Amino acid sequence: MPLLTDTFPLPVLQDASVAPAAREPGPVRAWRSLEEWHAGGPGREALLRELPPGAATPPEGLARRTFLQLATASLAAAGFTGCFRQPPEKILPYALPPEGLTPGVPLHFATGMEWNGRTVGLVVESHEGRPTKVEGNPEHPASQGAAGIFEQASLLGLYDAARARTARLQGTEVAWSVLREALAQRATRTDGGAGLRFLVEPTGSPLVQAMFARIQERFPRARFIPFSADLPDGSVEGTTLAYGRPLDVVHDVGRAVVVSLDDDFLSTLKPGQLRAARDFVAARRPEALNRLWVAESTLTLTGAFADERSRMKPSQAVALALALAADVGANTGHAALAGLRPPGTTLGEAQRAWVREAAKDLLAHRGQGRVTVGARQPALVHALAFAVDEALGNAPWLVEPVAQPVGGTEALASLVGELRAGQVDTLVITAWNPVYASAVDSGFAEALALAPFRLYHGLHEDETAALCPAFAPATHPYESWRDGRAPDGTESLLQPLIAPLFPGAVQEVEVLATFAGLESKSPYALLKDLWRERTGASADFESRWEAWLGVGVVPDTRAPRARARLDEAAVVAAARPSAPPSRGLELGLVLDARLYDGRFAGNAWLQELPDPVTKLTWDNAALLSPATARRLGLEKGDVARLELRGQAVEAPVLVLPGQPDDTVTLALGHGRERVGPVGQGVGVNAYRLRHLDAPWGAPGLTVTRTGGHHALALTQEHWSMDGRPLALQLTSGEFQARPLALKSLQEDHERLYPLMPMASDTHQWAMAIDLHRCTGCSACMVACQAENNVPVVGKDGVLKSREMHWLRIDRYFLGDPDDPGVITQPVACVHCEAAPCEYVCPVNATVHSDEGLNQMVYNRCIGTRYCSNNCPYKVRRFNYLEYQQREPLDRLRQNPDVTVRSRGVMEKCTYCVQRIERARLVARSARRDILDGDVRTACQQACPTEAITFGDLLAPASAVKRRHEDPRHYRLLNNLGTRPRTVHLVRLKNPAPKRGP
Amino acid sequence: MAPLFHPGTDSLLRGLIALALGVPAVSLAGLLLLARNPLGRGFFSPREQPVEFDHRHHAGDEGIPCGYCHEGAWRSPVAGVPPTQRCLGCHAQVWNESAKLEPVRASGFDGMPLQWNRVHALPDYVWFSHQIHVNKGVGCVTCHGRVDTMAAVQQVAPLTMGWCLECHRDPTPWLRPLSEVANLTWRPPGDARETGRAVQAALDVHPRTNCNTCHF
Repeated sequence: MPLLTDTFPLPVLQDASVAPAAREPGPVRAWRSLEEWHAGGPGREALLRELPPGAATPPEGLARRTFLQLATASLAAAGFTGCFRQPPEKILPYALPPEGLTPGVPLHFATGMEWNGRTVGLVVESHEGRPTKVEGNPEHPASQGAAGIFEQASLLGLYDAARARTARLQGTEVAWSVLREALAQRATRTDGGAGLRFLVEPTGSPLVQAMFARIQERFPRARFIPFSADLPDGSVEGTTLAYGRPLDVVHDVGRAVVVSLDDDFLSTLKPGQLRAARDFVAARRPEALNRLWVAESTLTLTGAFADERSRMKPSQAVALALALAADVGANTGHAALAGLRPPGTTLGEAQRAWVREAAKDLLAHRGQGRVTVGARQPALVHALAFAVDEALGNAPWLVEPVAQPVGGTEALASLVGELRAGQVDTLVITAWNPVYASAVDSGFAEALALAPFRLYHGLHEDETAALCPAFAPATHPYESWRDGRAPDGTESLLQPLIAPLFPGAVQEVEVLATFAGLESKSPYALLKDLWRERTGASADFESRWEAWLGVGVVPDTRAPRARARLDEAAVVAAARPSAPPSRGLELGLVLDARLYDGRFAGNAWLQELPDPVTKLTWDNAALLSPATARRLGLEKGDVARLELRGQAVEAPVLVLPGQPDDTVTLALGHGRERVGPVGQGVGVNAYRLRHLDAPWGAPGLTVTRTGGHHALALTQEHWSMDGRPLALQLTSGEFQARPLALKSLQEDHERLYPLMPMASDTHQWAMAIDLHRCTGCSACMVACQAENNVPVVGKDGVLKSREMHWLRIDRYFLGDPDDPGVITQPVACVHCEAAPCEYVCPVNATVHSDEGLNQMVYNRCIGTRYCSNNCPYKVRRFNYLEYQQREPLDRLRQNPDVTVRSRGVMEKCTYCVQRIERARLVARSARRDILDGDVRTACQQACPTEAITFGDLLAPASAVKRRHEDPRHYRLLNNLGTRPRTVHLVRLKNPAPKRGP
Repeated sequence: MAPLFHPGTDSLLRGLIALALGVPAVSLAGLLLLARNPLGRGFFSPREQPVEFDHRHHAGDEGIPCGYCHEGAWRSPVAGVPPTQRCLGCHAQVWNESAKLEPVRASGFDGMPLQWNRVHALPDYVWFSHQIHVNKGVGCVTCHGRVDTMAAVQQVAPLTMGWCLECHRDPTPWLRPLSEVANLTWRPPGDARETGRAVQAALDVHPRTNCNTCHF
């Protein structure tokens, strides 16, 4: 069967191929998978089908005949009245109504979530006391209204039935009060805390830090050991080297030239990156583009967004930084920097050219550039970046460390030493799961047993809890009183949304308070007392406290910029004895883009979220470049044995275009052993390859084939729109040279029948998705899942292409598989004005509204799936099985405004019509019309870069109308004449001007 | 040889065919009728409640306005059932030793809610809002009937989609001024349509009949 593109060539692409000048010959080919690139290969046949084989097979274990018998029997049992009469329901009014609550009207509370020691401010929607949706706090500097995947999905963690429920002492279940007594007893000691150790996660919370200080005061010889899998953070050691003391770097990447060495700041996986992504994209206006230079050791979203990307092995970053520093130093009169030389043959010609051009660009934009380095890179690379920035007058934004205690892996090593020496009698662990997440050579798991009393405070009965006879179940952040600090130092109060779902759960502060001698006070009282003290017990404290709680931010608490002078000599001295380049395969360990360090492994939303780059769900895989995979004789799904320094794991291989050669990247956080039914045994535990002196990977990896095969649940080929290039990207030069190139994708073609008129003259809803702003971070997907009660189908379901995400993000590679460009494109129902799905529904279950919505009526749907067949955008999702969780805890979570769909029903994006109708109700009751901005869809609200706009085309000067008229807009598959209401905007690139050969 | 079919066979066959076609047709029609009438839907049957709350007394004799207890109807999708505290606002003083009110006092003391039986239940795939109806001049009595004459509340309207659409397509006969929304005995002076049209113009009433108005 010939491709449709062969029969009906897309006009714009044809134009592009004959475009004068500017462009290399021929259009760049867009493709979704290597199988597609090598068309004619084994994956070819599958690509031409709408769904993979087996998508429509009935569930196993229940024969059709048995099913029919059961169905008939239950029909008879239910009786006919069941068809008409509603089942009896109870109404349970409040005995004592909470203040300010009207049943049926959701309330919103400002709170926040801390990980990586920093807090992102959030606003959580609460329906009669049940938190149902997490949104960003517009007033909070680290959120600005946006929320990433972890923030959104944390809601599911709150209602996780696998959470720990009861405390344990000496292995037997006890009440918290009994455990507290035992702790208080451990705290009555006269040795000054010599044997008392706390293994804690670094935190910015003033309350927890005050507890640390108070305990330290009481027990001067006690110690707090920082532990977190995201440590060590190279930037802390880098500031120590360059500025003489540890400092925090605040990402300020809203600049004209940004050079990133392995820094994936657009992935929004850490607090502060939501802000960084927004700042960066805001400085990338289509009229005046900035330029992003990325050199990275695996393909990331930031690399996908780069104007000039260079692949490097992780160990090459030092050489790149040295070369960059030398180039910049030579042109800014910094002789010491100019004298630096990368060791001989470390860099390839392309990399040297990349450095030269990046340096030139930085020099041309002095004071408006930024060199940013990823946390995985060693101190020297960070220090060199600071030196370059300072030399160019781009002083970095430094603040005194937000999170305490400061430290890297050496702290854990010394604790293990003390444990082995028998110097620790009481070990209190509040850090997340150190037994699972510590380096394989740290010996922590074995040494832990040497502490006579060891307490673990955690959300789950996980790997660490298994080795600790004393255990205290933790409250979820939305059940706790706390405070926190944003990466820029801004302080905020985090309030609980709900009383602990499992009454035995306690907060970290409560555990610490028993050692601080403050166990008689509740966390709320402790928090309020602390803040009263911090404000000097002012008379209007109560009203200020209320205001802080309401807004979620304590005003004017941003940390001042740290005064620090760069010690260039120290940086140069550290750079002298640079290591010779490594040969052979190198291992790179990264924090997982969905599970972080493994703490979200029990979260089904995140497990099923396709990895933004690889589109892999329910697994991790060893990422190899096509060339390396060829050399090693490995293919997608082959199980390989990765061996480093005598430690080995067996992991499935995924060939990733754009991956640097000779580099194997494996994500941490998978392969959990005690995590509950969702994450149990999913993926491979990469911590087994982590070493104290090489926390982010090392050279010297050997990879061997085992002969095994593992099915990877990849979504990259699912919902394919027939291989047509749909995510459009032009360079700004091309676009400015031919601004009308997109005309044929913007205008109607001839049609056989007249269009059905849209009746309403008050509102016409529409959406615009700006690919120029979309980084592919997937926050919108999780937001949509939470808002619309979208179920999870599990790995088997994903393998059969049954995933239910209403909004998907297509990732296309562009050009050469070894070093491709990448573009991401969110696609949900585009609400065609002439919708193909509507013509074919035999029961009118999908029809058009007068305001331009393509409505899906669940109670009419009989599940023929004709609509999905006829949908050219492949955005309709069918409930093949009863996917919805109906356990009491799951029901608490669900959005009461959205129908919970059952088996056999088609569903798809509704433009968040429940939000439209809510807004309409409020507006019309007040006798006005909905104003532009009253309705924000869930995806729009979550987006860190404001790529998604929604609104009313009839409202004058509405944002969505502006984007619909933007010369960059185009309609997806315009040649079909569907007139989609969601338009996409072309992404513009700003590659460096090419010099002569 | 005796004939294979005796003379009555044709009639028998006709009868059987009639039955084969007629029984399903009649039962289908019957079911459809049942789905639309009080017997099938279980309305016009007073619903028993854990406390013998009498609207005749409260709404009728005492003249307590609807919004005193069901204030949510004006500002929320759900009208709401009053919290125990509101019952005890009066019943701490009057009838404070009545045995019938024992469950109410118990709820007031231990904080556990009273469990009322729902009378007006819509399917879960319907999204209904009291707020918009009440603020656009649809009276309580229009859907809930003369609650002030009911010993135990019962459903008086079918609450089917057809019944909803009847009014959404042509609301004028059912509209009343905002001041009379909670008035259970108000009758339009003269022609109901004329009053309705005036109200429609004054309150800017534009009911919608798109699927997504109620189903999403």
